[in-house]
Amino acid sequence: MKLSKIVIVIAFAGTSGAVLAHSGATGVVKERMDGMSALEKSVKAITPIMRGKDDYDADKVRAFAEDVATHSGEAMTRLFPAGSGGMPSEAKDAVWSDWEEFASLAEDLHRLSEGLGMAADNGIGGVSGAGSASMMGTDTMMGGQTGMMGDASPGAMIGFEELAEMPADAVFTMIAQTCSACHTKYRAESK
Amino acid sequence: MRKSFLGLVAIASLGATGLAALAAWPVGVPTSSRLSELSGNVAQGAYLARASGCIACHTNIEGGGAPLAGGVALETPFGTLYSPNLTTDPEHGLGDWKIEDFARAVRQGLSPEGQPYYPAFTYPFYQNFTDQQIADLWAAFQTVPAVAEQSVEPDMPFPFNQRATLKVWRALYLDPPRTDPVPDADPVWNRGKELVEGATHCGACHTGRTFLGGRDYENQHFKGSDMLPGGGKAPAIDTGTLVSRGWDIDNLAYALRTGITPSGDAFGNAMGEVVLYGTKFLGDDDLTAIATYLLDEHG
Repeated sequence: MKLSKIVIVIAFAGTSGAVLAHSGATGVVKERMDGMSALEKSVKAITPIMRGKDDYDADKVRAFAEDVATHSGEAMTRLFPAGSGGMPSEAKDAVWSDWEEFASLAEDLHRLSEGLGMAADNGIGGVSGAGSASMMGTDTMMGGQTGMMGDASPGAMIGFEELAEMPADAVFTMIAQTCSACHTKYRAESK
Repeated sequence: MRKSFLGLVAIASLGATGLAALAAWPVGVPTSSRLSELSGNVAQGAYLARASGCIACHTNIEGGGAPLAGGVALETPFGTLYSPNLTTDPEHGLGDWKIEDFARAVRQGLSPEGQPYYPAFTYPFYQNFTDQQIADLWAAFQTVPAVAEQSVEPDMPFPFNQRATLKVWRALYLDPPRTDPVPDADPVWNRGKELVEGATHCGACHTGRTFLGGRDYENQHFKGSDMLPGGGKAPAIDTGTLVSRGWDIDNLAYALRTGITPSGDAFGNAMGEVVLYGTKFLGDDDLTAIATYLLDEHG
């Protein structure tokens, strides 16, 4: 009895944020929220594979990459027409005042998703210290070409040839960090 | 609570005489004389600077500012502060500083002129940095290109515009960080303690505050805060809360690298900055250490 209560509480705690935050949305705002929620589910599902906790499955990785592709780039930005901010949207005004960078992050995500599709057959190689390697490899504070210092997107400078050669989990990490970069600048703090 | 009350009384009773007395109140201790003999390691220093959030806070990311040139506005309940320029520019940055000035600023929160910094600068967490760590940081900061951009003066109303009043804050709230290792504890846990309670200063945002902005470690350690600059909030990260929200050592370490949460969401806002400009550069062993400490009862 007690255990089931705890399970219910945990289940509720896990979902209530998104459910409450997304309630009351209609039209294009609802459409983009649903898209983000779909991505959240996809990320959750693919993470164990990318971490080597579940058996690697290139088809699942390709399907995930496809999924991200359909929700990024132009497909994402068209869901943010001018004037669609404000409650109940969680988008900050910066989406529109800083549209160029917002669109560029959405485009990075799209490019990285295509790159992940190409890298799907590479399997995973362990992303151990992915970031630190590039910082430690250079003798400055600026962190080499990771794009840390001006460009918020971790994968902005990397082309398809390079992506296609990378372990899939390295590309996945860049996808995740691109999501985070965009949320950092453009998603309002949950209330 | 009692501390805050005393502080309020102290500040309220400040007349001109009181301020003069505060101004004359000496703070700080002499810096180590061996600092300038140490040779700093740039890579180690850059790593520590990432971990400590120097770059995240002193780079105006939203405004597209140059690295470490400052200018990030922090709206506190007491007025607005702007992170200063930390580049090697001699006029506007640290270009004409000596390592002793730097050590005093980082570990004691005092300017080269001996004025206290506002505690929005998280120096209380850096008090136990070793001389070698200071030398490493200093070496790393020497590699930052100079940017001739003036630091923006704080916009604080009286009495908070009187830096001498910060001595009251220091007397009330400037406790040593809890970085000391616990004898016989797991070295991974102790390393986590050193990072979490020191350099990565998790408690800076995730600890509840008194109404004077002091962190209430007695009752509110890692219980979250809704009094952050700019009206920001930080969730509780005490062990019980983390566990109830689906976190474990493994997925927390992973989140600090990638931004991905257990639900598949990605961090945004201040925590996104922490990851993208800080923790994603840390080694796996350090991320595991941080998560190990946070997910264990630690008082």
